[in-house]
Amino acid sequence: MIDFLQMVLNGIAAGSSYALVGLGMVLIYKASEVPNFVQGEMALLPVFVAFMLLESYGVPPYMAFPITLIFAFFLGCFLEFAILRRAKDPNILGLIIITIGMEMILLGLVSWKFGADQRVMPFPISEYDSIAIGNLFISSLNMLTLVAALFIMLVLFLFFRYSKIGVAMKASQQNETAARLMGIKTKQVRMLTWGISAMVGTVAGLLLAPVIMEPFMMWNPMMKGFAGAVVGGMTSLPGAVIGAYIIGVIENLFGGYVSIEFKSVVAFAVIVLVLCVRPSGLFARHYVKKV
Amino acid sequence: MKKKSLSIAAIMFLLVFGLALNGSAEQGVTDTEIHIGQWSPQTGPAAPWGAVARGTDAYFKMINAEGGIHGRKIIHHYFDDGYNPAKTVAGVKQLQEDVGMFGWVSGVGTACGLAVKDYLMGRKIPWVGPSSGSSHWVDPPQKYLFNDYPLYSGDAQILVKVAAEKLGLKRIAITYQNDDYGKLGLAGARKQAAKEGLSLVAEIPMNVADTDMAPFVMELKKANADSVLMFIGVGQVARLIGTGKAMKFDPRWMTTTTCADAPLMIAITKGLFAGTIVANFGLFEPQVVGIGNTEDVNNPSHPVVKKYYEDAFKKFAAKEERWGLTFVAGMAYAEPMLEGLKRAGRDLTREKFVAAMETIKDFKGSMGRVSYGSFDPNDPHCRVGQTEIFASEVTADGKYKVLMDWTEMPYVKID
Repeated sequence: MIDFLQMVLNGIAAGSSYALVGLGMVLIYKASEVPNFVQGEMALLPVFVAFMLLESYGVPPYMAFPITLIFAFFLGCFLEFAILRRAKDPNILGLIIITIGMEMILLGLVSWKFGADQRVMPFPISEYDSIAIGNLFISSLNMLTLVAALFIMLVLFLFFRYSKIGVAMKASQQNETAARLMGIKTKQVRMLTWGISAMVGTVAGLLLAPVIMEPFMMWNPMMKGFAGAVVGGMTSLPGAVIGAYIIGVIENLFGGYVSIEFKSVVAFAVIVLVLCVRPSGLFARHYVKKV
Repeated sequence: MKKKSLSIAAIMFLLVFGLALNGSAEQGVTDTEIHIGQWSPQTGPAAPWGAVARGTDAYFKMINAEGGIHGRKIIHHYFDDGYNPAKTVAGVKQLQEDVGMFGWVSGVGTACGLAVKDYLMGRKIPWVGPSSGSSHWVDPPQKYLFNDYPLYSGDAQILVKVAAEKLGLKRIAITYQNDDYGKLGLAGARKQAAKEGLSLVAEIPMNVADTDMAPFVMELKKANADSVLMFIGVGQVARLIGTGKAMKFDPRWMTTTTCADAPLMIAITKGLFAGTIVANFGLFEPQVVGIGNTEDVNNPSHPVVKKYYEDAFKKFAAKEERWGLTFVAGMAYAEPMLEGLKRAGRDLTREKFVAAMETIKDFKGSMGRVSYGSFDPNDPHCRVGQTEIFASEVTADGKYKVLMDWTEMPYVKID
């Protein structure tokens, strides 16, 4: 029983970082209807900027991390404004290709500027300390990630429900033409969404960086976050979070009871299964466009 | 008509003598140059291993600055394959067919090397020192392929030997990358464990993409392992040890030469790598340092390595380059090739080079002794090169404390 509970706890811990990346992806999918493959690198560059602030300029963490989040926000806005918006009448495939292209550019930029050697981000909480709940362990960093994922989900929920910009975002996502007719500046709203999404992803990156930092560090969380978002539903914020936790827990249980060898690919088997049974994901409403 | 005849005669003359002249020279060799190719990942997930090619480059520049080989400079062509075998094939073909390499040196990655092995061997192009300890390079042996990286099975053997004989540990487990690298380590560990009258208490495969180490730590804990061999990637080693600490699992960690860069590992584990036992294939001499004494790679005691530090690294490495195991390894892998080129003499052909390589016996550069033999398609030993390994323990300040002297580790055939 202890093993089972530990596996579930491990799954929740792993799922938290997937959830943060998944949240970012869902935000952009709702705004632009594009699976955003630059999500990981929108976090990667700010994480390395944070590292540079901390290591090269001696900026204290309480200043470096907020500066990094602001940088991430502007990076997201810039990518939407300078690249995505310039695409002429793009279809979904074209948009996906653009995000893959941006991903490669940002990855190349980080590799060129910071090199390929592994390093670790100085962080106020030790990634090697753990909290014991009886015979169960969870690392302090994983606990922080879990709290951050739930907190950000709550903030986004409140933001979309009660703030003017949040409601404008929701309106733009649901019917862009109608929103524009109602006086909402939909392009600006979309740009803001990209900025917020980059910030959310960067939180995940900052919480992963104390373990290992390298140019490819966001690849696996991005894939798993994407898997979680697809399972939960690409248009549902709580769905993305729950989907990510489902992926994390299934991975761990599968590794413990079935095959540790195929633990890392089980997420994608779950995607196939969910897409066959519920194409919109477990928690998203299935919209049918009238023609 | 007369003009036309003259032209035809001139063309024929040029063709005949041109071909004859060309036929007398080996591809990739001119009066003043020898062209050597190499691939390595300068970008992508294995980019930290890109330092191998940069190390080789600095080494060749040092050799050239000292006069080259028999009056010829080495022209080193290396390209970034991103650890992608498709790119390795494209790059090798381009350099071989457009520029013309005399031979190839090093080359990071088993999959990348395997992708071009048949191409190079089919054209009888020498390749020395693939940068991975895979059995594919020697079993079956290839006439033009000379290995010098100790096979991963040897790393596992010495680590199990240290655990069982030196530290008295009996519950040895292994976590291994689910590919050729890891499986060869597993084969070596099993063989040595059997020799010690033990069996491995856990054999846990890991995929390259695995980043969540908690399930692996749980399996190791369940097996009650007192020592764990890690045949996985550098980042995974750091994550596994860190997750072990967080989950209160603290065995004697042991790892292979690929993860033995002590200063780097100490830095990325924030000191948790201290006490880890690593396999070494050179770069310092256990007898010179002394069993129980420590070696600082930033102040090398090995005269050959010290020379590399002064004459290659300081003079030819880029300003931001880090002096470390991977960079120096790039020089070490190329040493036997240089020895072969020297022995082949001024009148250099590939066949003479291969014959010269086969005369190398107990050659000592910065690694252990390297030996080759006459080509025997049934005997991997004629191309294995180096079979000696020693072991050390990493200290908290990123140095190596020598635990075991050079030990001959016999070739293990993978099942």
